[in-house]
Order: sequence, then structure tokens, then C-alpha cells
Amino acid sequence: MNLERIKPHLPWITLVSLVLIVGIGDSNFLRPHNLISMVADIMPLFIMALGMTLVIFIGGIDLSAQSVANMTTVVATVALPTFGIGAALLCVVAGLAIGAISGFITTKLFVPSFVSTLAMGGVAYSAAQYLSGERALYMDATLRDGAFGWMVGSSFGIPHEIFLGAVLLLGTLFLQSRTTFGRALKAVGAGELAAVASGLSVTRIKVLAFALSGMLAAIAGLLFSVKLSGGSPTLANGFLLPAIVAVLVGGTPLTGGVGGVVNTLIGTLIVAVIRASMLYFEIDATMQQMIFGIILIIAIASTIDRSKLRVVK
Amino acid sequence: MNGILSRETLVKWAPLMVLLILVLFFTVLEPRFLSVRNLARISVSAAPALMVALGVTFIIIMGSIDLSMEGTVSVSAVIFAFAFLYLGGTLFGLAWLALPLAVLVGAVIGLINGIVHVKLRIPSFMASLAMGFVGTGLALLLTGGDRIRVEDEAFRGLLTERWLGFPIMVYVAIAFVLVGWFIQSRTTLGRNFYAVGGGEELAHASGLNVSKVRILGFMLAGMFYAVGALLAVARIGIAETATGNNFMFMSITSVVVGGTALWGGIGGVWNTLVGVLIVNVIGNGMVVIGLPGYVQDAVLGLLVIVAVVLSTDRKSISFVK
Repeated sequence: MNLERIKPHLPWITLVSLVLIVGIGDSNFLRPHNLISMVADIMPLFIMALGMTLVIFIGGIDLSAQSVANMTTVVATVALPTFGIGAALLCVVAGLAIGAISGFITTKLFVPSFVSTLAMGGVAYSAAQYLSGERALYMDATLRDGAFGWMVGSSFGIPHEIFLGAVLLLGTLFLQSRTTFGRALKAVGAGELAAVASGLSVTRIKVLAFALSGMLAAIAGLLFSVKLSGGSPTLANGFLLPAIVAVLVGGTPLTGGVGGVVNTLIGTLIVAVIRASMLYFEIDATMQQMIFGIILIIAIASTIDRSKLRVVK
Repeated sequence: MNGILSRETLVKWAPLMVLLILVLFFTVLEPRFLSVRNLARISVSAAPALMVALGVTFIIIMGSIDLSMEGTVSVSAVIFAFAFLYLGGTLFGLAWLALPLAVLVGAVIGLINGIVHVKLRIPSFMASLAMGFVGTGLALLLTGGDRIRVEDEAFRGLLTERWLGFPIMVYVAIAFVLVGWFIQSRTTLGRNFYAVGGGEELAHASGLNVSKVRILGFMLAGMFYAVGALLAVARIGIAETATGNNFMFMSITSVVVGGTALWGGIGGVWNTLVGVLIVNVIGNGMVVIGLPGYVQDAVLGLLVIVAVVLSTDRKSISFVK
């Protein structure tokens, strides 16, 4: 048994150990009801992290995810009275478009993804401020329940957020492992030049990955806004760090090529358990951001594939 | 094309031309734009951003990136405010010691940032982004979410005292531009930044300790962020977790728009001065001619993309991540 053999299993081992540690500390944590509501609460973050996974998988990053989610909370709230459930479609299209533009700027104009997504994040933020009139908005309760009640209800004791997350997970998992797009994604992540040389249309693949990331960030924003019954240009602030942490802790390294959406499920659950444990162990909530920042550094350092980086810039 | 209109000459002078055209444009639409009052307003809002942008300029010259500024600015501002109040709360007492302390805090955070990036071999954009999150988290932990007021008249004099119509903090900022220029052109470290940015492997092969240059670069950047934090606190009289907000987007945009290429090796502090002015002239000018403030982020976003595209020699790279 060497470290390289154990490494792929570390994420779920971490998750199980964390659950056990918190469970031993306070057995209330292990009640099914508690675990289920914990998972339901983390679903918006999980959906955003799913999208982030696709972009990190090809060695990029999407720093616009949080701004896109912010924007869609506003879009959903503003569009609800006029379009009803059609507001969801608007959100999805807006997310797809912003992601696709980021992808286009990255691949065709050679702007590194952290700059292009940061810039498109600025565009999304301006759009959110414009649409909201720079205020926090609230959804009308009857309209919300009519159009989006299905998102936040519950069946058989399981909140619908979890079903939504599961459907998106299965969808992305299918894309990742059963389609040529998924294979191509892996090829690009494993080595972009080789992928180009083998005749893949790398541009199309990368643009699609960014577009899907934008779309999933938009769905995350939509779900979050329905949960909180409102929208504002800063509602989803604080999502970006845990979303990146979830992807990396799950075992998809920053250099791309390995890992995937199932890893991100485990990573997101780790984030959820760490958050919950801070409540149970009465650690001040103001420490949370610092702790996740440090976890992020550790996660990057221990997963990154240094053989891929000739010089570390 | 070797004439005056070669690509290189154009790229070199384009930022200054853009700045002049913008100033002309806004002045024609609204003559009050060019009043001393308004120019002072622009320079006051530009001063803290300029300090932060100067810091990250050195990093970008090396071909790396630093996204930790928001956290570093917040932590330096908050620790400065605590120390300042603890030491008596007036510049005429012992409280002036809080100024060098803040710069020291910036240097330490930058040092840790550099060590994490170089020693753990993590790409700088991610190492520094994570350090930025840690910084913001630390500032939140220290303040518990509260705002700390710094109301000392002597310290706020940076904003309220004026010479020739401009607050003292503007002159302080100009002095630090000269310091940055000195470091860039007259010190070994400054030259080494260009060597690393021009070609890391060559720099390494010629015997340069690239790791050391990188770590020192991040430390220097941290010190400039701390100076930015001090000016930001002087400007609004409050230190809080949110003091660092928006500095990341603003400073990166400014540096890139000023003509310092993300690939490293090109540009410098004068470019950054022009870049910061472009960004602030746009921000101020849009308000002066009556456009809503929220358009600013979108305009800056588009501007940074255009700037990166223009500064990229597309024949020399095959792909970017």
C-alpha cells in the first residue's frame, strides 16, 4: 500500500471519518432527518460546484459562477410575475450565454480563464444591479409556489432539492462518462496539445464546458432564490470559495484530467459536514471563511499534478 | 512594419492615448469634468487603488498573478485600526507606530503567499486566491463583523488637508509611485522581475535564484497593498472586513489596461499609473455625464478583455487555460 494507491480513495475516507467524528461528538448529528436537511441545504452549492468541476476538469477556472448565480436570483425574481415558470428558462439561457462568451474569449481570444471569467462576472454583476434597481427583491408567495413550488416541496420525506441535485448529477455523469463530449473533455484535461493533434475540436469542447458551468451556476442561483423567495445582486455571495473547495477536496485537481462530478458530490458533502461540525462544536461562524481558505490551500497542494506544470507561474 | 506605427509603438503608447481621448471626451460632454474639484475627486478615489495596482504590477511583470489583495488590504486595515486605537488613537502620540505595523502585516501576508506559491508549487493565481480568502476570513474573525472607526484628525488630514487643491494622500500616492519606479529601474530586485517575466528558464539558467525573486516579489506586493489599505482607511475613516472589497477587479483591470502584459516582462509602474487613471476617469466620467454607476463593472470587464486581447501576440502561444 503506497500513498498513490490510497490517494483516489482519500475523499470518501475523509467524508466517512468526518461524519463519524461529528457523530461521536454529538449523536443528534446522525439522525436521518438532520442528515437529509443538511444535504438539502447544500444543494445550490452542489449544483454550482458541478459546473465548476467541468471547467476545472479541462484545467481552467470559472470565477464568474458566483456573479452568474447572483444575477439569476434577480432574473428569476424579476421575471416571475410575467413569465411564471418560463423565468427558469430565462435563467438557464442567461447562464449558458455568459458561460459560452467566457469560453469563447478564453479559447478564441487567448485570454486566460481566470481573467475572462472575472471580467464576465463584472458584466453579470452590472446586469444584476441594473435589473434589480440595486435593491433586494422579494417573490410573491403565491406566484412562487405556483411556478416553483415543486422545487422546494418534499416527497417521501425527501426534499425536492435533493431530487433536482440528483437529476443534474446523473445528467452530468452521463455526459462525462457515456458521451464523446465527456471523453473529449478528459482528453483536453489530460493534455490539450495532444487533444488538438488528435483532431479534436478543442475550441468547441472548451466553450461547451464553460457554457455548462454558466448554466449550472444559473440553476444554482435559481434554486437559491426560490429557497429564499427573493433575489439581490449579492444574494449568493460567499458561494465561490466553498464551490471551488468542494471540487478540489473531492479530488479533481486544478491541473484537470482526473476526478469528475461524483468526486464533487463527495467534496460538497465534506464541505457540508465541516460547516455542520462548526455548529456542533460551537466554533464561531466568523472562522468559517478562514478555515475553508486554509483547506483550499491544502486541497490544491495535495491533489495538483506537478508533472504537468513545467514552470509554476 | 518598422515605422512609427509599428505594433510595438502602438501598444506602448495606446494606454496614454486612450486616457487623453477619454479626458477629452468627458470634458466635451461636461466641462466641469476638468475642474480642480473633480480632478481631486478622481485622484482621491484612485490613490488607494493605485497603491494596490502598483503592488500587483511587479507580480504581473514576473508573469505570475496575485489575487490576494482584497484579503491583505482588509487584514492590514483592521490590524492598523486596532493598533492605532490601542496606542492612543492620535498620530501625535505613539499611534504612528501603527503605520509601519500595517506595512509589516502586509509584508508577512505577502511572504506567506509567496512561500505557499513557490514552495508548494501551486500556480500563483490559485495560491493567492486562497490566501485572499484566508485574509478576508481573518479580518472577519478579528472584527467579528464590526466596523472600526478611525477619527483622528491628524490621520484623516491625509484626506482633509489640501495643497494646491489636492488632498495630501494624493501626494503620498505620487511619492509611492516614485518609490515603485525606483525599485523597478534602479534595484537588482526590480530588474530581476523583468528577467523572470521575460523567460523563467533562461533566468534560472543564468544563475538567478528565481524562487527567491518570486517570494520577495509577493512580499513587496503585500507591502504596497498595506499602503493602499492605509489610504483607504484615511479616505473613509473606517476599517472593516469589506475595506478590501473590489480591489481585486479594479487593480487587475488597471494594470492590464495600462499595458502591462499578463505574460510578463513588459510594462511597469508608469503603465499602471495610466491604467489606474483610465479606470477611475471612466468611473468618474460616467457619473459626471449622468450614466448610472452600475454600468461600471460591465465596462471594466469589457475593457480588460480588450486590453488583454490587444497585448497578446497570438502567433507565439498555442493555448491558454
